[in-house]
Amino acid sequence: MTPVIICCGAGGVGKTTTAAALAVAQAQAGARVVVLTIDPARRLADALGVRVGSEPSPVALPPGVEGTLHALMLDPKETFDRVVARFAPTPEARDRIYRNHVYQHVSANMAGAQEYMAMERLYELSRDGRWDCVVLDTPPTRHALDFLAAPDRMANLMDEGVMRWLVLPASRGGWRMIERGSEVLAGVLERMVGNSTIADIAEFFSAFQALWDGFRERSMEVRSLLAAPTTRFFLVTTAAPAARAEARLFVEQLRAHQQPLAGFLLNRCLLPLPAPGAPTFTAPTERPPGWDAAVAALAALHAAYQGRLQLQEQNIDELIRGTAAPVWRVPDLGEAVQDLEGITALAEYLRPAVT
Amino acid sequence: MSPPDQLLSRLLERRIVIVTGKGGVGKTAVSLALGVLAAKRGLNTLVCETSGADQVCGRFGLPAGGYAISTLGPRLSTMSIAPEPAIEEYLLRMLRFRKLYEMVFKNRVMGPFLDAVPGLHDLIQLGKVFDLERERGPVLGGRSRQWDFIVVDAPATGHGISMLTAPRGMMRLTRSGPFHDNARDVAGLIEDPVRTAIVLVSLAEALPVHETAELYGRLGRFQEQVAGVVLNGVRQHGLPTSFPALRPGLAAGANPPGLDALGLADRAIERVAMQDRARVNLGRLGVPVVDLPDLPESALGPDQFGQLASALEASA
Repeated sequence: MTPVIICCGAGGVGKTTTAAALAVAQAQAGARVVVLTIDPARRLADALGVRVGSEPSPVALPPGVEGTLHALMLDPKETFDRVVARFAPTPEARDRIYRNHVYQHVSANMAGAQEYMAMERLYELSRDGRWDCVVLDTPPTRHALDFLAAPDRMANLMDEGVMRWLVLPASRGGWRMIERGSEVLAGVLERMVGNSTIADIAEFFSAFQALWDGFRERSMEVRSLLAAPTTRFFLVTTAAPAARAEARLFVEQLRAHQQPLAGFLLNRCLLPLPAPGAPTFTAPTERPPGWDAAVAALAALHAAYQGRLQLQEQNIDELIRGTAAPVWRVPDLGEAVQDLEGITALAEYLRPAVT
Repeated sequence: MSPPDQLLSRLLERRIVIVTGKGGVGKTAVSLALGVLAAKRGLNTLVCETSGADQVCGRFGLPAGGYAISTLGPRLSTMSIAPEPAIEEYLLRMLRFRKLYEMVFKNRVMGPFLDAVPGLHDLIQLGKVFDLERERGPVLGGRSRQWDFIVVDAPATGHGISMLTAPRGMMRLTRSGPFHDNARDVAGLIEDPVRTAIVLVSLAEALPVHETAELYGRLGRFQEQVAGVVLNGVRQHGLPTSFPALRPGLAAGANPPGLDALGLADRAIERVAMQDRARVNLGRLGVPVVDLPDLPESALGPDQFGQLASALEASA
């Protein structure tokens, strides 16, 4: 199976940038790499030269790099359309779904659709044969590892149970007693969302009936891809206290999913100051104006930095408590990381984590 | 009126303030600072979490209060509007009987279905805010408002926009029926510039500023409701203006840690310049921009939110 690297983490920790940097590091090691990003900031997308809905597009790397790097941005709607086309037994079945009012509304917005489509696209890329490594920047989700469960949830949604409740009434021209309670359900739903919506929903599920098997099968394939030893999960986070709770949640959820953690990638780390002790300044015989104020401000800056550093170390200890996964630190590169050059600089620090 | 003055007056006259911004910029801290400030100004204030993290009570040294209202201080309360209890409450009210609710929605069929309906979670969460806005208090024979000011600590960027647009999405999806009508009522409140304002939170760095501008652009019809941008985590270097002239002399007389301190000073000066650029770039959006100081404390608590509130007030 094609090796896969999955970057998990909360929003705002530099996940997309890190995913791109890991991909650059792999390309520098000679691999043909593709990085799949989800909803990146426009600047970063520009830096990588990716467009929504595009096939993987080549990223120009500095001369001398042996491997190649391609990038693409997930387009959930387009991926959903393609999945429908692939699993639909006939063009008519496909078009019936495309035309459905509910499908048009949900295919881009459905809760979990983005996660499901990320998994779908990841699977496609891993089977493509053109890549030595696929790097995935995971979508920001409300529940940390929603995307892992997305294929199962989609399969559940397409479950026969739902169909029996929702599809048959439509095909028989009205709600029927199929299971105990379904009449009540029908009545309640109808009262809440109105007749035409029920008809739309029923038509949606009815049209999807032909695709069930495809969805269920794919859900199992994605699960085995995620469980493969060639698939590695990295947790991207910062050493900031605010990010810790969410990062710990990822650690625990990965454990619950029995997915081993390949490492912590810590962005924006403070580096220890080289010299121990407090700063002192020998004043010239004639003390220039502002000298004492400057010395006091320097002492304050020094103390504040040491304080933040100490806090950072406590946080990192708390973060990694109980895990054996290695920790890779990336110093705060400031505003530099907003173009390919910055991403390449980041890759220098991350290379040991993936090669 | 100075821009920060406008920001505060625009905000405190509203009933609802929705706080959003890029992930990790401190939306919760800003929401609480706004809450502390409003309470201090005499408004009965409720800060609502929407992430389900239920972390606000903990920051105030209280056990997590979940979906129940917890009192944080005089005139200041909080609750966590997680989607699940909000949906349960909504459906129970519609169906009137718990047994009916459990039969219809608490089964393996409807569970995943409800989870997948686009925007349902977001809509029901906003629907709870809608209810809270109308809630009556015990004063004036039950005719007074329970809450003068409601702060919604909303999800980050993309999801934040999905939440704002969820009512209209649901109106399109359902076309008619009570659910459609409820969605229309919620849209009416959220899109009302008299009652609802939006605050964007950013950090003073190039990328977050770009994302904030991008977010502003994507807000579409909601742009006119943006009361301002809060620039969080702003630092001062505290160095005298004569520092550049003094630097060679300081370097000559420095011990090794002193040289480190000079390096830190150079970076602090760069950072202040970066913050200035960020402020200029955000100013181009045409909305007020106010600073909040960076507080390095390990866990932000009531004192820090009070400090942030004073900073907001002082900037006015």
